[in-house]
Amino acid sequence: MFDYTFQWRSALRALPDMLAGAWVTFETAALSMILGVLLALALTVMRRMDNPLPRAFANLWVSIARNTPSLFQIYILYFGLGSFGWHISSWAALLAGITFNNAGYLAENFRGGLKAVPDTQMRAARSLGMSAFQAYRMIVFPQLLRIVYHPLTNQMVWAVLMTSLGVIVGLNDDLTGVTQNYNVRTFRTFEFFAIAAVLYYLITKIIVLVARLLAWRLFRY
Amino acid sequence: MTIKNNTLALSLITVLTVSTSDDALADKLDDIISSGTLRCAVTLDFPPMGFRDDNNQPAGFDVDYCNDLARVLDVDAEVVETPFPDRIPALVSNRADVIVASTSDTLERAKTVGMTVPYFAFQMVVLTREDTGIEGYDDLEGRAVGNTSGTYEAIALEQDVEGWDGGSFRAYQTQNDTLLAVAQGHIEATVVTNTVAAATVNSGRYPGLKIAGDAPYVIDYVSLAARRSEYGLLNYLNLFVNQQVRTGRYAELYEKWVGGTPVELTVPGVYY
Repeated sequence: MFDYTFQWRSALRALPDMLAGAWVTFETAALSMILGVLLALALTVMRRMDNPLPRAFANLWVSIARNTPSLFQIYILYFGLGSFGWHISSWAALLAGITFNNAGYLAENFRGGLKAVPDTQMRAARSLGMSAFQAYRMIVFPQLLRIVYHPLTNQMVWAVLMTSLGVIVGLNDDLTGVTQNYNVRTFRTFEFFAIAAVLYYLITKIIVLVARLLAWRLFRY
Repeated sequence: MTIKNNTLALSLITVLTVSTSDDALADKLDDIISSGTLRCAVTLDFPPMGFRDDNNQPAGFDVDYCNDLARVLDVDAEVVETPFPDRIPALVSNRADVIVASTSDTLERAKTVGMTVPYFAFQMVVLTREDTGIEGYDDLEGRAVGNTSGTYEAIALEQDVEGWDGGSFRAYQTQNDTLLAVAQGHIEATVVTNTVAAATVNSGRYPGLKIAGDAPYVIDYVSLAARRSEYGLLNYLNLFVNQQVRTGRYAELYEKWVGGTPVELTVPGVYY
């Protein structure tokens, strides 16, 4: 028994605010991806070190990030640290939470990518007189990035959707925050969430499309 | 003989048709009575209106109110726990028949759901920590404040913050998160109902919190809510609210959960 009358006209008046929220969502996801990739590269290298300390640290990071809900991670960062008197903003908690998570997943992607680059590449680079760092930077990473490119896109889409968790720590200017705000003020839940869902869908579709175009441009021989 | 049989058949058909179409005409009030269960959407992190007692059972003014309503309808009460922002979806998606969750009767919401006459009213107060130096509502200007998404006081506070110089507003998803945010110092103050403020300060769970005067908002009248089209149910609910006051049950429940003189539920100088 669904007898709900949709009132699209009044709901659509919130569109400018929601688009502004969508921009915050996109920015947050993009930033978390950039930081996540850098961290994941560091973690990937650390996991291959001979020194057990960084190796253990990186393995611990990856296993916690991949095996606990990101909702908890964000909540703990905000309210958990808050109980020790550390105050980070809602946005910072969200960013840190999804970046932590992102880095863990990406590190695992990179590990797979690294395994796909033949060992002989490294050996060949070293025998040409490159240092280990040079060999990684110029020979291994470019090939690695090509392999992990599409999983990266996937992760970016995931990051966009994960930003919606910011609402549980009081973030109110991302897309979900703005939507929830309109929802509680007017109780037109279905309209606002439908519009938000369409916007999320469009954001991720655009990301995938741009990524495809980029890939076409980047990976031409 | 055949005519008799035909007449019999015809009358049988008529009786059957009438009885089935009768079901089709039944409204929500009939549905509740015939199902034997009244499902109330109640928010359970809003003491003393709705909360969980030491045995983790729903308790509070709203829970009692729901039980009273079920009693007069002669059905069993079922409390559907619903966070503030989810009250209307619970109603629309038919997980609850009626909202008994201290819902402020804003004109914006009344476009979506049917509101009864007020069954309770709140005074808003400022809740802050002792070390913030906030002594009243005017001191909130320029500070970091926050509130529970979807409450009357959140909407009023956010509107004021937008008009002030500086300061910020955060919305949390539950009353508990808001209280935690004040206690931990994520925000410096919030505005809550007098009932929540008293329950919070007296609970001893949040040391260092204090009440810093009244907030200058219009009195927050709250209503029961049902689907906008269910006049039969809404009429019944209006009468029920009236009877609760008339019989002294409202005063009794007020004394039990809040204490003191019950708040007047009528606005002077105007009909509802």
